[in-house]
Amino acid sequence: MPLLDYMLAKKLLEKYKIRSVDSKYVESADDAVRFSAGGKIVLKLLSDKALHKTKAGLVKLGLKGEGEIRAAYGDLSRRGKSLRPYKILAQKMAEGGVEIIIGGNTDRQFGKMLLVGLGGIYVETFKDVQLRLCPITKADAEDMLFGLESRKIITYDGKAEEEVVELLLKVSKMFTENKRIVELDLNPVIIRQGSYDAVDIRIIV
Amino acid sequence: MDKKADLTPMMKPRSVAIIGASRDPHKVGNVILQNYISAGYEGKLYPVNLNANEVLGYKAYKSILDIKEAVDLAVIAIPAPAVPGALEQCGKAKVRSAVVVSGGFAEVGEVELQDKITEIAEKYKIAMVGPNCLGVMDMRSKVDTLFLPTKKISKPKVGFVSFVSQSGAVGSTVLDVIAGEGIGLSKFISYGNAAYIDEVDILEYLMNDPETKVIVLYIEGIKRGKEFVELARKITKIKPVVVLKAGRTSAGTAAAHSHTASLAGDYAVQEAIFRQFGFTVANDISELLYYAKIFASEVKPKGNRVGVITNGGGAGVITADEIGSSKHLRMAEYSPSVKKSLRRIMPSLVNITNPLDLAGDADAGRYMDAMNALGSDPEVDMLLVIILYQTPGADPGVTREVIQKKITLSKPLLVVTVGTDYTLRQAKLLEDGGVPVYDSPISAVSSLEALFEYAEYKKRH
Repeated sequence: MPLLDYMLAKKLLEKYKIRSVDSKYVESADDAVRFSAGGKIVLKLLSDKALHKTKAGLVKLGLKGEGEIRAAYGDLSRRGKSLRPYKILAQKMAEGGVEIIIGGNTDRQFGKMLLVGLGGIYVETFKDVQLRLCPITKADAEDMLFGLESRKIITYDGKAEEEVVELLLKVSKMFTENKRIVELDLNPVIIRQGSYDAVDIRIIV
Repeated sequence: MDKKADLTPMMKPRSVAIIGASRDPHKVGNVILQNYISAGYEGKLYPVNLNANEVLGYKAYKSILDIKEAVDLAVIAIPAPAVPGALEQCGKAKVRSAVVVSGGFAEVGEVELQDKITEIAEKYKIAMVGPNCLGVMDMRSKVDTLFLPTKKISKPKVGFVSFVSQSGAVGSTVLDVIAGEGIGLSKFISYGNAAYIDEVDILEYLMNDPETKVIVLYIEGIKRGKEFVELARKITKIKPVVVLKAGRTSAGTAAAHSHTASLAGDYAVQEAIFRQFGFTVANDISELLYYAKIFASEVKPKGNRVGVITNGGGAGVITADEIGSSKHLRMAEYSPSVKKSLRRIMPSLVNITNPLDLAGDADAGRYMDAMNALGSDPEVDMLLVIILYQTPGADPGVTREVIQKKITLSKPLLVVTVGTDYTLRQAKLLEDGGVPVYDSPISAVSSLEALFEYAEYKKRH
């Protein structure tokens, strides 16, 4: 099952007004430095031959300043030689906030299911997730959040709750309308100050 | 949804043929016929037996084709290899429904044999339940294809709960316990391998059945996901469904590609779908019965505020804790006028708080006053009445008052009582009087919560 190209996936999200962190493919170290514009960035090597980016050392987090960015870019292009074809993705670093996962999966019996849960390193430990069949209603989205043990961590204020409910409805709409999508992971989505950003996107078609 | 066949001839047959009605009292076919006779079934009975002219005093037929009158239901209890032939004859004889109790099909790998009977049922449009099942029971028409000796299983009273079970063994256990818990039963359907009629067909029938007000479902696997969802959406708008799904621990898919896929295993998906469409999910057989019991009482809560009446302080506190830590319920705050009138009627040792502790000497009169006050308080949505019969004042008089109150009260009311012989006798009287009784604050509170969740679901969908 092929993974949709990252920037195409991001574009699809934008069509449904789902926010994700600023991202761009970079062709050179100079390119990456320009993209950073003085802020913290992340560099990721994307290749079909490397499924576990983090494990393979293909994700460089929290890069700040020309020196760090150039060094990281150089390291990634060396590693990339054996993983051709590859691309290097630069993303603005999203810091702080609470990480959640929003996912979609196609159940062989029932069809498209939407999932939400506390994200990051907790996903596999607590397995505190809620699932619903797509398309979901607003009441379903609210029930999903209410059903999570970690709801108080995720929706620490009313604004965050509204945002996540809206986000779930948008993801459900995107998943339902695009027949070719069989699976998706927005993991993590970072929630902070009443707003959110999808940080990593995997859409399998 | 295309209707395969109507289940009415199966549940309300004017005539029943029992294929394999043996003269040997140890054979299933004999037990079934005997059960029909002892249940007082009023339609016509036709034993079908190759080797006998008469079984249990009824004229026996060599083949279903020999019966001149129309047959609404054929119960088939013969060895598996002979079933296709018998079913084919049923088709030719225009039998409208069949229950195949015989085992020896897909459950032991005989898939082809099962496919064969499915084809025959389809061809003749016979509403066929089974194979490998206990069959059906209707408390009103006195249909009973169950081959369980009546002395080993208590018979439930007639009521409005219908129970559907894929498994025969779970089915008969629950049936026995339903009787013991005083839950009134309408219909029981054990559908086994679901070769033709499956859970979707059965639920659709029960959804439209005026004699069914609560559906209780034990299910192992769902066959037609899309149709199930379509029906689930409709059914809970009409009546509550309590479900126990087996397979909680089944390993997830090995070929999981993402977090989402690994977290969305079969059980999790099905449970999510049950909840999404307003089913009440039970985790074990006792929960299934607790929920069935509260729904059977047929009173809807207007809100989530519980008033607790008790004659034991500790039991009241445990209950308040349970309500406090529940997801939806909370302890009611009595309205000022109710507080004032309670203060006037209650002896000074009774504190006017929630839980309302009527003290160890509380008698029928004090219970009545308390229930009247909280029953009329608009700030109280549900009543949880704890009766510890070990105390001097708690006697059959209290039992009578609670039964009286339950009849007139338009709010949910249940009783929690814990004890042995004396208590159990009173509990039985309460249940016979239509009052749901629980043996622990935990089960009582989670049942009220289930009732509230369903009421909310109906409001929002």
